This record gives sequence, structure tokens and C-alpha cells, in this order.
Amino acid sequence: MLLIGGLLFLLLAIVLAAAVMLGAERLPLFDLSEQQRSILYDIRLPRILLGACVGASLAVAGAGLQSLLRNPLAEPYLLGVSNGAALGTMLAFVFFQSLEITRPLLAFAGAGLATVAVYRMAKSRAGMNVERLVLSGVIVTTFLSSVIVMLTTLLDAAKLRSFTFWLLGDLSQATVNGVYLSFGAVIIGTIILMSQARALNLMMVGERDAFDFGVEVGRVRMLVFGASSLVVGAAVAASGSVGYVGLIVPHLVRLIVGSDNRLVVPFSAVAGAIFVVFADTIARTAIAPRELPVGAVTALIGAPLFIYLLRRN
Amino acid sequence: MRREPPRQPKRLPPLLRKEGSLWIAVALTTLMLLSACGGAKNAGNSATPVPMRVVTDDLGRAVTIPVKVTRVVSLAPNLTENIFAVGAGDRLVGVTTFCNYPEQAKAIAKIGDTMTPNMESIIALKPDVVFVSTASQIEAFMKTLEANGIAVYVTNPTGTVDVMRNLKALGEIFDTQKVSDDLIANLTQRINAVANLTGPLASHRERPTKVFIQISKEPLFTIGNKSHLNEWLFNAGGQSVTENVDTAYPKLSKETASALNPEVIILSESDDNKEPNDAFKNSPAVKNGRVYKVNADLLSRPGPRLVDALEQIAKDLHPEKFK
Amino acid sequence: MLEVKDISVGYGERAVLGGVSFELRDGKTIVLLGANGAGKTTLIKALNATLPLTSGDIALDGERLSKISRREIARNIAVVAQENETRFPVTVLEFVLSGRFVHGNAFGWESEADVAFAERALADCDLSGYETRLMNHLSGGERQRVVLARALATGARILLLDEPTANLDLAHQAMMFRLVRERCRSCQASAVVITHDLNLAAEFADEIIMLTDGRIAAKGTPTEVLTAENIKGVFGVNVLLDENPASGNVRVTSVF
Repeated sequence: MLLIGGLLFLLLAIVLAAAVMLGAERLPLFDLSEQQRSILYDIRLPRILLGACVGASLAVAGAGLQSLLRNPLAEPYLLGVSNGAALGTMLAFVFFQSLEITRPLLAFAGAGLATVAVYRMAKSRAGMNVERLVLSGVIVTTFLSSVIVMLTTLLDAAKLRSFTFWLLGDLSQATVNGVYLSFGAVIIGTIILMSQARALNLMMVGERDAFDFGVEVGRVRMLVFGASSLVVGAAVAASGSVGYVGLIVPHLVRLIVGSDNRLVVPFSAVAGAIFVVFADTIARTAIAPRELPVGAVTALIGAPLFIYLLRRN
Repeated sequence: MRREPPRQPKRLPPLLRKEGSLWIAVALTTLMLLSACGGAKNAGNSATPVPMRVVTDDLGRAVTIPVKVTRVVSLAPNLTENIFAVGAGDRLVGVTTFCNYPEQAKAIAKIGDTMTPNMESIIALKPDVVFVSTASQIEAFMKTLEANGIAVYVTNPTGTVDVMRNLKALGEIFDTQKVSDDLIANLTQRINAVANLTGPLASHRERPTKVFIQISKEPLFTIGNKSHLNEWLFNAGGQSVTENVDTAYPKLSKETASALNPEVIILSESDDNKEPNDAFKNSPAVKNGRVYKVNADLLSRPGPRLVDALEQIAKDLHPEKFK
Repeated sequence: MLEVKDISVGYGERAVLGGVSFELRDGKTIVLLGANGAGKTTLIKALNATLPLTSGDIALDGERLSKISRREIARNIAVVAQENETRFPVTVLEFVLSGRFVHGNAFGWESEADVAFAERALADCDLSGYETRLMNHLSGGERQRVVLARALATGARILLLDEPTANLDLAHQAMMFRLVRERCRSCQASAVVITHDLNLAAEFADEIIMLTDGRIAAKGTPTEVLTAENIKGVFGVNVLLDENPASGNVRVTSVF
């Protein structure tokens, strides 16, 4: 386990280093001019770090929600959590343009409400089955999408363009403050999820079982929903909807380290950071000086990979 | 001024490409439904036949219109401006919600926006001709509108040359050639005046100013060499620092932007675009306070006001030549 | 000791259990018998405080169950429920170790002692060498033994077992009951077991409770309860009773 952890951190270091070296502008290793320093420190580094935080956020939220809901297909994007956050951000975008802090706050609120709504819909007296859960997620997701589309009619053309680009998943608007905020959220969220990891190991097998063996199911559920909403809210407010990270990363991690959430959660955080930083490096450099939305790249890598994993099992 | 052959098929003006494919999907669905159930029997139901003539639109289609065109609908804000400019504004019976210029346009009935016009409202207005700027919608439009005896004229001017051609065509359609010819002469004279002072005619003598045109601040959009503004800027005595980007309106890497060092930044002014992106904080343009704003409508709607913007920017770039 | 005093349980309007009273003394094994739908599983859930009581009271060592925290209950009472499937690749050892949940702090990893408990429970259930096998690759019977091992690994003093022998072969059925009874005798633990096998009940129960329609139809030692009338009354089946030549306990044979 230590070896795998070590390798994962090494890989993160390599990907981060490569991301710092690569970009639309070529930077020398030493003796940077003032302008080149500005490119590195004001533009490239914040973006890379934000990408790492966003990747870690989405991956731990995916890992946590999958165990909590006993469904390896649970993912913030599929469950409507991302769209809830997107709607929250959009409301902030439309009504509180000047107050930047309202974006993550409303994103968090939106993510939380969407999660609870999906959970309530999926839960019946007989308990919760996977089909119901996925169906509820799809319903909430499409409902929220249509609300978002309706709201776009309130936007003028210029705002609409920035919004649609953001909605596709875009890290180009990274700021130093945004990095602090996302970093804080992902640290708090990961700690909460880690603290519930052992309880999640029981929940993963069965909610009733977990209750029988002393897990305070209601409290665990609240903490995991809360932590997931926190990290997804922060990630979506900063970068829009970056899909597939929450689905693919915990899957891959489980293939390597097994199902123990005390390993899956932290390893997913690191692997998620690697995945998004890697994808964003492609987004930044593939058609430079133009840019791709990072969400398109993660989906382009994630979708075929996921199909492969599905068929393999 | 430099001439270039008109491009076919036409590109969308920037305003239109903002909307995204979703709107197209919605519009297409609506139109398909409408065309399936609409318009079987009422092609030309008036008792006395109206004398007709045939004109050719920008797609090269032969369009049959009445000799006297009295009621038209415009589905794009720049076409609305151009129709007013050739003196036919009083014949507009329907415009889009985007059409806010000139002032009289606001009082005309709205038929939805450019990407999702309401077919029922258009038909109810009984226009002779509908002016469309979006070639992608033409198939769906034609079926329904022409089944209702309404002609569809597709035109999508981009650069200043295109605008002139468009004004001339409109003058012929509305039989207001006097107004359109005068306008074209006036615009040509103004463009030449500017070009003589600052543009290509002058630039062999001196280096044009390096300019960055910022279309939106976050995310950072600018113009590439496929935008009509690339040439427009050249006429004003500037050179786009992103002229080697091979597209019309690219989202630009901030790293690249930061290394461009423009001497001047022009903001296409809108709510979200009132100051330069932070990537430019060390650029000569920001340090020397050479950031100028142009109303986004002027830049994004190819029409006579493009020349207003040209004069304004030429003065901003080379104030010494306009004393 | 678990004292059950005149409890009733209902789902909405429908009463499932009514007026049930008994005592589970340390070291004893009680077997619950009854036809399908008699309320056996409901009684187990009530004993574990998973279902609210509509009336009556359950006391664990003299303290009302409803006043005790979930963790404290789990420390004392372990359940083997009818089995569960998971879609995640959980290993046998991980599964059994999860039974030690209430003994660790939330952050922590299992201690040496936890692992020792788990290993011993696995050995007891004839599962040594299964540690790294995946739960969803096991047979039904193997999985059932793992579920029992998890309950044993908790070290709880009260075991509630809901049809633990349903998927087991003959040898493992006997092993399961012997194991439970040995636990009860040696550690002063006690157990409530649901089964449909009257002969296993006769062999291993200290006390048998027969349920019909949520009420106690008969209660007492196997010899007292396993009578032809009681069995006819509860299951509607005619039986022959004689003595098991090996153990001297009652033997039940159905007459078809």
C-alpha cells in the first residue's frame, strides 16, 4: 500500500512538473523575465493548482457517494449534484454579478439541495434500489438542465457566451483566491470523508447491516452528503461541470487498492488531481494558442475508459 | 481599401454564434413540427395577382418577391439596422428582441430572437419577405414560410465590403436606390478618408499599431484572421496581434495573451467586458493607459455603424492624424 | 441479560407482534420457531432496537434499550441477518473486520487485537485461508459463514441469528449451532436463533419459543414445547415424536 501510495505521489509530481513546463507559451527553466514570471505565477500555476483541487474534489465526492449509496455508478454529475451546483452558480452569475463569493456559496447550496432531492426520490419504504437512484438522478439532472436553459434566456449574449463555456468545464478563469477556496474545501471535505471511511465500508455492504453494527447511519449520510456538496460546490463554482472524474477515478483506484474507503478516499484525491491536471494540460496545449474546455477532454478520455472498465468486469 | 472576394457560404456574425447548438436543436424541432402540420392550402389567396419579380440572395437562390415590397420581417439586428439605413424602416413589421437600433426599431413587433423566432408570429404578420442571416435555418424556414406565400431572403454581410453590397441589394428590393446609393457613396468616402490617413495606404510608410481586440474578458475571447474585424482594424491603422490565429473568434490562452504585449487594447464593450483581462496587466497598453472601448453592437453587427466604429478607433489609434 | 416485557410492534395499522414476553439469560440459547410471517424476523429486529416498539419494553442488563446509544447496543448485540450482496470488491477479511467497527475510533485502523478477533472468528467458522477472497466470488453457504464470522468477531454478548443455516450443508449446519452453543457456554454469551429445522432446535436450544401470528404459542424446554399438538397448532402438520438415539433429545418426523 505504501508503495502504491508512493508511486501515486510520484506520478502526481511528474504530472504537475510536466504541466508547469508545458503551456501555450514556452518558458525557459531558469532566468525568467518579468513577463515570463508573470505567466508562470499569475496564470499557469494557479490554473494547475485549481485543476488539482477540482480533480481531487470530484474524485473524493464520487468515492464517498458511491459507497454511501452502494452504487459504483453514483457520480456527482449523474446524480444531479453537479447540475445543482451549476444552477446555484448561475443564479449568482445572474443576480449577484459583483459578489464573487456568492458563487461558491450558492453552488454549495444547490449541490446540497440536489443531493437531498435525489436521495428523497430514490428512497422508498422498501429501501433504496439502484435503478430508482439512477432514475432519480437522471430526472433531477435533466430538470435542473432545463431550468438552466430557461435561465440562459435572461442572460445577454456576452454573458451567455462566458456562461456556456464555463458550463462545459473551464479552468481558464483560475484566480489565486479561487485556488485557496477550492483547496480549503477539498481539504475539509476529504478529512470529513476520511473520518467516515470506516463507516462507509459498512454502508457500502448494506445500510441495515451498517446500522446493526453500530454505524449511526443518519449522521454518516448527512456528513457524506454535506462533504460531497461542499467539494462539488467549490469545484463547480470554480470550473463548471467537469464530467467523468468522479466516476472513473474511484473505479480505477478500487481496481488497484480494493474497496477499503480508508484507502480509496485519499488515493482517489491524488488520482483525481493527476487526471484533471493531465487533461487540462492537453486542453491548454493541444490547439494553442487557442484552448479547449477541460470538461471536453475529461469526457473524451473518461467515456471510452469507462466503457472498457464496464466490459472488463 | 483592400478588397477580398466574398466568402461562401457565409459565416455567422459573432452575435449569432454565441447561442450554442441547443438553441438550434430547439428551433429545428419546433420548425419540424410546424412544417409537418402547417401550410397546405393558402399559397397566394388574394384575388388579384400581385406583380412579382425575381432577385438573387447571398446564397445564390432565386427569390420571388412582389414588385412593391411593403411588409418585411428581419431576423437579425444588423439587417434591421441596414433596412432602416436604406430608408425602408417603416416597412419593417417584425424584428427580433435583439433589434434595439435605431430607436424606432424598439417599437416594432417582436417575433422572438434570432435563433428561435416564432414562426406563428411571423406568419400572422403576413410579410412579403423575411430577411434571414442564418443559413443553417434556411431549409426549415423555407418550407413553412414559402408554403405560406412568404419569400425568404438570406443575407449575412460580414466585412465593410459586404455591408456595401448588402445595402445596395436592399435598396433594390425596397426600391430606395437613391437613399442606398447616397449612403454607399458617403460610407465609401468616409472609409477611404480613414484609410488614407491611417490604413493600408498609409502603412507602408509606418508600422501599424499592435492592437488586441478583447471580445470578452472571462473567458478570454478575441478575434482571429477569419473575423471581419481583422481587416477592419487594418483600415484603422492597427494590426491585430492575434492575426495568425486561424479562426474567427478564438478563446485565447491567457499565457499567450500575456506574451502578446499589445500597444493598444480595444474592448468590445458589454456588461462583462469593461476592462482588460488580468493577463494584460503588464502590457504596454495597460501601462500607458491605451485601452479603448467600442460599443459591442457596433463591432458585432456589420452595418453602417461599423464605419462609425472605424472612425472612432482610427482616431484613438492615431490621434495626431486627426487634428 | 435481555428482558422482553410485553412488547408489541406494528407496521402502521397492522400489528405484527403482540404481548411478547421472555427472558434471555446469559449463556442460554433460545430458538424461535414459527410459520412464515409469524413475526420471527420482526422480533429479532425489535430485540436489536431496529424497529420501534408500539408498547412494552426491552431491557439490556436492566437498562431500557431505547435509552442506549447505537454504538453501545452494537457493542453488546450482534446480528446475522439474511444475507446481503454488494457490488464492491470487498475481501472476506475486510468484511469480518468491519464487525469491529464499534471498537475503534472512527479514524483509526484496526488494532492487532481486532485482527486477532477476526482471525479467530474465521477459524471458528472453518474459513481459515479465505481472508483475501472476494465476498462476491463466494458461494451462498460460504458467504453465510462469513456473515456469522463477522457477528462472532464483534465479541458481542448477545447474538441474534436470523436463519443462519438456510444455505448451509449438513456438516456446517451442525457446526454453526455447535459454535453458537459453545460461545454461549464458554463466554457467558447468549443467542436468539431463528430456524425452521425442528430437530436442530431440539438438539441445541435451551429454550424454544413458538410464535403464531405475532403471539407466543408455546415457550419452554424442547421437550415441553415440541409436542405433537403444539406443532400441529403452529405449523398445521402431523408429526411423530421419538427419541434421538444419539443424544437422547426429542426427534421430530413429519407425517405426509
